[in-house]
Amino acid sequence: MIKQKKVSTSRIGAVAAILAASLALAACGSSSSSSSSKSGGSGASSSSSSSSGAAATLNAAGSTLAAPIYQQWGSTLKSQGLTVNYDPVGSGAGIADLQTSTVQFAGSDPALKPTDTAKLKGPALQLPVAFGAITVSYNLPGVNTGLKLDGPTIADIYLGKIKTWNAPAIAKLNPGMKLPSTRITVVHRADSSGTTNGFTTFLSDYSPTWKSQVGANKDVKWPTGTGAAKNSGVAAAIKQTSGAIGYVEQAYALINGFHYAAVENAHGRYILPTIANTSAAAQGIAIPKDLGISTINAGGPTAYPIVSQTFLDVYQDPCKAGGANAATASGLKRFLTYAVGAGQQTLGSGANKLPYAPLPSTLAAKDMAQLKAMSCNGSAIS
Amino acid sequence: MGASAATVPGDRSRLERSPVSRLPDQVLRWGLTGLAAAILILLGYFFIRLIGQSSNTFSSFGLSFVFGNDWDVSRNIYHGFPLLFGTLLTSAIALIIGVPVAISAALFVTELCPRRLRGPLTILVDLLAAVPSVVYGLWGVFVLEPRLLPAEKWFASTFSFIPFIGGGTPTMPNYFVAGLILAIMILPIVSAITREVMATVPAEDKEAALALGATRWEMIRMAVLPYSRPGITGGAMLGLGRALGETIAVVIVIGNAPVIGSHLFNQGYSLAAVIANEFGEAAATPIHSSALFAAGLVLFVLTLIVNLLARRFISRGQHGHRGTGATGVSIGVSAPQ
Amino acid sequence: MSLTEFAPISPARRRRNQLMRGVLMAGTIVALIPLVLVIYYLIHKGAGSLNEKFFTTDPTGNFFGNQGGVRSAILGSLEIVGLASLIAIPTGIGVALFLTEYGKQTRFANVVRYFVDVMTGVPSIVFGLFIYIVLVTSHIGGNFTGWKGSVALSLLMLPVVVRAAEVVLLLVPSALREAALALGAPRWRVISKVVLPTALPGLMTGSLLAVARGMGETAPLLFTVSVAFGATANLGAQMNTLPVQIFNDIGSPNTTLNNRAWGAALTLVALVLIINLIARAVARRSRMA
Repeated sequence: MIKQKKVSTSRIGAVAAILAASLALAACGSSSSSSSSKSGGSGASSSSSSSSGAAATLNAAGSTLAAPIYQQWGSTLKSQGLTVNYDPVGSGAGIADLQTSTVQFAGSDPALKPTDTAKLKGPALQLPVAFGAITVSYNLPGVNTGLKLDGPTIADIYLGKIKTWNAPAIAKLNPGMKLPSTRITVVHRADSSGTTNGFTTFLSDYSPTWKSQVGANKDVKWPTGTGAAKNSGVAAAIKQTSGAIGYVEQAYALINGFHYAAVENAHGRYILPTIANTSAAAQGIAIPKDLGISTINAGGPTAYPIVSQTFLDVYQDPCKAGGANAATASGLKRFLTYAVGAGQQTLGSGANKLPYAPLPSTLAAKDMAQLKAMSCNGSAIS
Repeated sequence: MGASAATVPGDRSRLERSPVSRLPDQVLRWGLTGLAAAILILLGYFFIRLIGQSSNTFSSFGLSFVFGNDWDVSRNIYHGFPLLFGTLLTSAIALIIGVPVAISAALFVTELCPRRLRGPLTILVDLLAAVPSVVYGLWGVFVLEPRLLPAEKWFASTFSFIPFIGGGTPTMPNYFVAGLILAIMILPIVSAITREVMATVPAEDKEAALALGATRWEMIRMAVLPYSRPGITGGAMLGLGRALGETIAVVIVIGNAPVIGSHLFNQGYSLAAVIANEFGEAAATPIHSSALFAAGLVLFVLTLIVNLLARRFISRGQHGHRGTGATGVSIGVSAPQ
Repeated sequence: MSLTEFAPISPARRRRNQLMRGVLMAGTIVALIPLVLVIYYLIHKGAGSLNEKFFTTDPTGNFFGNQGGVRSAILGSLEIVGLASLIAIPTGIGVALFLTEYGKQTRFANVVRYFVDVMTGVPSIVFGLFIYIVLVTSHIGGNFTGWKGSVALSLLMLPVVVRAAEVVLLLVPSALREAALALGAPRWRVISKVVLPTALPGLMTGSLLAVARGMGETAPLLFTVSVAFGATANLGAQMNTLPVQIFNDIGSPNTTLNNRAWGAALTLVALVLIINLIARAVARRSRMA
């Protein structure tokens, strides 16, 4: 019995030592994370951005379309004492988190609806920050680039009316192209998604049947198809199923080397989702007072028709409505100032730029003006 | 010790302790009792909270929440039969595939394999329980699904005369793959309990059969299996309990379509998966979050019933073994994730 | 059953015996195939990401350039599971002590046992939701925090500890208890000096299995801890954890991050396997468990 006790005690000692060592590592870790760390290798160092103030931590959640942007900005701003924790849970969940005040800002692709603002704890600002093209990607061996599709056809595919790739409706748009008889596997989102909202808005614009039967929303009752969670889930499903078609944001399509369709816009031209064509969608759009723009099916002749805007949503008074303290509110304002200012330099085409279209200067200026309305418990934020 | 030395003036026994020194005992007793009671209260609160959050759903939809077939988030209509169907179907597949395999492994390890291999094989089967759920889901979607699709297509076209199981066009995420992954996940628990139960078979029964000239298999068939049947059933039910509640792995491989899939190899949904996918956005929409809590409540009630039945079967099968169900250590990593 | 029924063993019976032996062996191999395949696949996809930087740097969130490693995820998991263990293990052993020493077969004790069993069957996501509603949206002590994740995990780990501990405590020979009591020791000393030390190896096994369970859980953490990039020892803040890191990295459009997810998955499985093996070794060494 005594011998056993000795052995047990030494075992306890070993476990305790391991626990202590790991906690010591954690302590080292936390101390080094508060000191400056190297920022990303991209050319996006914020040399021209605002002064570094007190350290602050911003917790955020929302759109997966915009997640790469906020995560990159968070990394860049770390050297200025701002820690940004962004959880890519989807636009709907992000707004819900803002409504329950569990985050400081939310990323949302669709503009806030009256039903959304009704549940918020106080008046909120929505700032458009970038535009992302929603590609119609497909996995069709033998068919690479050049596939043309238009709104009504895509709607019919997603309604389940067009079942094979060599259907007459598709062949009509692509004369001379050899289309296989593979069955079309429709892929869509299973979670609440701003990307879905943009895509279904586009479909509703072109197909009255879609509009009445399914409608446009972050979460719809899909007539057919497989559901996957997040942009990445849809991308994975497309990648693995021969004959699949799905809607994914540009970055996911590029990374996976997907082929995507040229989609007909309102001006009758078939447009590919390049950055330039994405920017074109933001040109000349109507800007409502609450900045709740929509770039779906908008813009000039070169505009890609399925471009989604993405917003940063915050409370106008984060201290009163969101329970933030002055330091956090200040950090929040600094982040937003960067987002609509220097951060825009990180977006665009070209190496080392995030593949999203930046704001046109008029819109950026409006965003900056909105920021002035932010306050902390009534007083201005430094 | 003589009787005289055992008493002191006042007729108190020498060995009796003073009330003060009994205090720590009382404190310990009531402290531990209080702890156990606190756990019960916590569970009670959990159950009440769950019911409270779901009441909105049942008052709005009544029983059609469970038996209606229309889960439409955009119109705020929550009739969850497709979810219940998916949960039950994938769990049934998990049982049909997993239980025979688990029993075979348990039988092999306890009766047939060389003694040296017994330990390593036991460890290996139990290690299946150590792999986290998310890893199984990812493995399922990246490795299993693509490789199974050709086989599924062949099966569907060859057996197209059988409704639901044959015919139709297999798609990649589907009920079957989800059921298969669940089968793998319940293997360790069913196998461990089966082993425990078989260990309690009286050696005399086995030796008697062998002494009368039975072959090894006949001995198993006559002495081991009949004796263990209740316990094995209990183990299968515990495996069922795990399969019912499994979330992350299923979310990744079932296809997340809130409809009753037309075939075995088509996509569907499950109660746990819908909670995982939709709760984030539902948090601020009372009717939606209530519907998801109601889904959780249905799951909870299902696992309640299954656990109750399992306990009854296992303790019947343990015949005099310590009545706790004696499966503590191996059950440790069993529950759904 | 007449004596002639079994002797001599006919060729048909011999064949059936061999056949069933084959079937059972095949069944065992089928049971083992998934484990082998999963581990192989994990190593194949994840081993390439494992290097020194992987374990010593935090994820950066960069789109280009240095993606960083998963140090904060490993530390976060250890911290959150550590706190959960501090809650669940003593509580679990306490409840088990109650059941074996005081409650025994009383009605109250049986009710406690039944509900502890029920707890084993509750899907972890439902516990996550419970904590989300009770603690997170009510803003008690912050929004998403590490310690709330620990509370959710401890709800999952508790029944494991209780069941394992009860089995082990029951195996302590009553003769030992009675001898100590006969020598005049008060109940609490019997428990602390005789029962617990004797059962200690088995208690450790059960505790380690609960810890292994806690490390692998994803669903409860998603609703209670959210994400973070940097490493922190502050359980009152959002933290990174391995399961959530894997979940998010797999969802990224960046293939480097996808590979990092596989490396993290391999690390997580290795950690859980090691804990399991230690638990078994401890169990084997002791005479009791």
